[in-house]
Amino acid sequence: MTLRSVTFCCALILGSPAFADLIAVRDNHILPRYAAFAEAAGALEASAETDCTAAAVMPAYHAAYDAWIGVSHIQFGPIEAHGIALSLSFWPDPKDRTGKAMTRLIAEVDPVVADAEAFAQVSVAAQGFSALERLLTEPQANADYVCAYTQAIAGHIAQAARDLSADWQGDFGEIFVTPGAAGNTTYLSPGDADRAVYTSLSTALEFMHDQRLGRPLGTFDRPRPNRAEARRSGRSARHVVLSLEALQEMTNAFSEAPLPEVNSAFTAAIDRVQALEDPSFAGVAVPAERFKIEVLQRNIRDLQVLIADDIGAALGISAGFNALDGD
Amino acid sequence: MQTRRSFMQATAAAATFPTTSWAAAGAPTHLSAARKKDGSYHLVGLRSDGEIAFTRPLPGRGHAAAAHPERAEAVAFARRPGTFALVLECSEGAVLQKLHAPEGRHFYGHGAFSRDGRRLYTTENEIETGAGRIGLWDASNGYRRLGELSSNGIGPHEIIRLPGTDTLAIANGGIRTHPDTGREKLNLDTMQPNLTLMSTEGEILEAAELSASLHQNSLRHIAGFNDGRVACAFQWQGDVYDSPSIVGLYTPGVGLQLLEMDSGFLHGLDGYAGSIATVGEDQIGITFPRGGVAQVIDLKRETSKILRRADICGIARADQDALATDGLGGVQRIDAGSTTPLAQHPLAFDNHLIAIG
Repeated sequence: MTLRSVTFCCALILGSPAFADLIAVRDNHILPRYAAFAEAAGALEASAETDCTAAAVMPAYHAAYDAWIGVSHIQFGPIEAHGIALSLSFWPDPKDRTGKAMTRLIAEVDPVVADAEAFAQVSVAAQGFSALERLLTEPQANADYVCAYTQAIAGHIAQAARDLSADWQGDFGEIFVTPGAAGNTTYLSPGDADRAVYTSLSTALEFMHDQRLGRPLGTFDRPRPNRAEARRSGRSARHVVLSLEALQEMTNAFSEAPLPEVNSAFTAAIDRVQALEDPSFAGVAVPAERFKIEVLQRNIRDLQVLIADDIGAALGISAGFNALDGD
Repeated sequence: MQTRRSFMQATAAAATFPTTSWAAAGAPTHLSAARKKDGSYHLVGLRSDGEIAFTRPLPGRGHAAAAHPERAEAVAFARRPGTFALVLECSEGAVLQKLHAPEGRHFYGHGAFSRDGRRLYTTENEIETGAGRIGLWDASNGYRRLGELSSNGIGPHEIIRLPGTDTLAIANGGIRTHPDTGREKLNLDTMQPNLTLMSTEGEILEAAELSASLHQNSLRHIAGFNDGRVACAFQWQGDVYDSPSIVGLYTPGVGLQLLEMDSGFLHGLDGYAGSIATVGEDQIGITFPRGGVAQVIDLKRETSKILRRADICGIARADQDALATDGLGGVQRIDAGSTTPLAQHPLAFDNHLIAIG
C-alpha cells in the first residue's frame, strides 16, 4: 500500500489530517535544536569574552553557526515575531550590504559595539554570522575595535538564541500545538500550524536550490564561485548538509507514517554533497565538478516535488496557488 | 434614485438581456475566481461577511473579473495567456456571452467597464509584435467587438477606471511574452513599464515612469483613489535580493514614486507584489503572496501594519476597510486597527478580489 493511500484512509476515518504530529515536531525537533543553538551561542559569547582573537573564536563560531543553520529553516513562531532572522545571517547579499555596513563601523570606530542595546539598532547586515565571518577570516587593522565588534556580535547572537529558545519553551510551544483552539490568534484554524511546517520545509528546499546552489552555479558561461554562502570560512557545502539533515529530521517528526522514499532521497542528497569534497563550491567553475553540483541541484528539486506530493497533497495543502502563479 | 441617464441605460440593456440587479444575485459585494478541491474552476461572488453568494463554473483557470456597474453581470477573464472571457449573469448563472480574443491576440487577465456600463475594456497582447492593446467591447449590445486602442506600452496587465471619472488607468508591465514560449520573459534588458492614463476614446492623458535605473520594476496592478492618485504594485525582475521598493504611488502633477519599504521586510517578499487596493481615502492595501503577507500603508500617518497569512493575494476595498482572500480559502477583513477572519471555504481563491460597484 502506498503512503498516499494510507494517509488518505486515516484521514477519512478520523475526519481530519492524521498525518501531522505537531507535538513530535516541537519536542523532538524544534525545542532540542533551539536549546542546542542557545548553548552553542552562549559558548561563542564566552569564547569571545575570554579571547577575542580569530584563532581562539573560530571553533565556537563554527559550532554556533552549525546550530543556527540547524534551526534557520524554522521560519515561523518567535523568529517571525521578533523579526531577527536577517540579523543572525544576512545572505544572499548581492549589494554587499554587510561589507558596506562593516566598513562604516570600522572606519568610524563607532562606539556602538560597546553597547548591546545600541548595537541592535545598526544595520541588520552587520549584526550576525555573515559579519562575524569576515572579522574572523579577513585581515583587520584595528585589533582593539575588531575585538569589541566580535564580542558585540557574539553577544547579539547569544541573546537572540536565548530569547528564541525561551519563547519556544514558553507560550509559543503551546500555541504551536493547539491550532484552531479558542484564543489562539496565531493559528486560527486547525490546519494552520501544519501549513507553517510544510511551508518551512518547502521554502527551505527552494532556498537551497535557488540560492545556496543556484547563486554560485550562475550560468555555465558565467559561474559565480564568489557568491557561495559563507565561502570565506569554507562552510558553503556544510550549510547544505546541515540543512538537509535538519529538514529530514523535521519531516520524520512531522509524519506519522514512515517515509522510505523521502528518506532515501534525503540520504542520497547528503551523500552527494559530501562526495563533492568541495567546502566552498569552488567546483562550479570547473566543468567536471560543476556537473556534479548541477545533479545535486536537480536532486533537491526532486526532493521538493516528492515532499509536495507525499506530504503536501496528503495534508490537502495546495501551497502557493497564488505564490507560484506569478502574474 | 434613478436618473434619466441610468433609466435609459437600463432600458438599453433590457433590449439585449434580461437584467437582474446585484441584489438578486445574493447581494455579493465582491468577486473572485477560485479553484475547488476537485480541481474545477469557478467564479465566486462573496458577501461582505465573507460568505458565498454564488458560484458559477468556468471552463479553465481564471485570474480576475470585472463587475458591471449596475447589472448583475460579471466578466471573468482567463489566466494569461488565455483567449476566453465569460460574461456571466450572476443570479441564475447563465453564460450570457463568451468573448474570444481576436485572431493574433490573447487576454492578459484584466478588464474594466466604462462608467455608464456600455463599454468593456480588456488588456491584450498583439502576439506578432508584442504591442499592448486595449480591446473595446460593446456591453450594451451583446459584447460585440468594437475595435481596439494602443495601450501605450508592452504587456498591459491591470486596467481600471479611476473612481468617479471616465479616465482609464493602465499598468503596462513592460514584459514581452509569446504564447509559444509560455510565460518566458523575452525583453528583461530593455523593458520599459509605465502607468498610462487614457480617455475612453484612447487619448493619452499621462504616461508616468520610474527612473531609468528602475526599469526592471514591472508595474502590474493598480488601484485608484477618489482624488486621482493611483496606488501601484510592482514585480521586480532583477535579483530579488536586490529589490527596490515594490509599492508606489502616482500623484497627479507629481508623477510616479516608490514608497519606502523596510529592507528587512522587503527581503522576504521575493520582489513580488500580487494585488493592490485603496482603503478609505488615504490607505493602500497590498499583498505579497510569496512572502505570505499583506500590508496596509497609511499614507497620511506614514505608518503601516502587516497581516501574515499564507498565500494571501486577493485584496479589495470594502466600505472604509478591505477584504482579503488567499489560496487556502480564507476571507479576512482588514480595518484600521485589526484583521478579522470572516470565513474559511474549501476553495483556493485566485489572484484577485474585485469590489462590485
